[in-house]
Amino acid sequence: MTLHIVSKSPGYSNALMDCADSFVEGDILLLIEDGVYALSSLPENIPVQAVHYLKADVNARGIVVTMEYQGIDDTRWVELCCQQNPVVSWFK
Amino acid sequence: MKFTLVIFSAPHSAEGAASALRFARALLASGHNLYRVFFYGDGVHNASALEAPPQDESHIVAGWQALQQQHQLDLVVCIAAAQRRGLLSASEAERLGKPAANLAAGFELAGLGQLVDAVVYSDRLVTFGD
Repeated sequence: MTLHIVSKSPGYSNALMDCADSFVEGDILLLIEDGVYALSSLPENIPVQAVHYLKADVNARGIVVTMEYQGIDDTRWVELCCQQNPVVSWFK
Repeated sequence: MKFTLVIFSAPHSAEGAASALRFARALLASGHNLYRVFFYGDGVHNASALEAPPQDESHIVAGWQALQQQHQLDLVVCIAAAQRRGLLSASEAERLGKPAANLAAGFELAGLGQLVDAVVYSDRLVTFGD
């Protein structure tokens, strides 16, 4: 099952929508960098429990997360990469 | 687990370069193996010996060099991408008749074959975009 890493804001990149198009059950979504701006409007086909975000990147942008998404640190990020295969980065 | 990182992001122009360095530190601290770091496209600027950011900003090139010394990392810079962007080793500068070289210590220039090799021998490939 894939770990999808999205690093661009949905405001100026199709990265999140491209990711959502290939997202299947068992996959995990990790939002990093400007990708965390997607936390306010995620595609419906991505289940809440699959959504992770880097806490450091959310804090750096002053974003308040209201949903039950999982905020993680870099160590947990490494663990997710070990747990899932392949790891796909979306940044265009 | 063996990781290879591919970095497309130049320092200070996109956040991916800083994220990659943080991720590398985290995976090494967790006891995993970093098989290779491949700098591609604008990511070759991570290997410039001439980067001189203000002292109160992060110095990503120095960060990679410190990690390389500590863990004997294989930091590989795509030679074709590097030549296009004016990132040259001493031997490449001489061969191409250029007045200076700027490949930082700890990095080496190589071809895409090194990326193919890394894909074959690593358990995970993680890409950091521009």
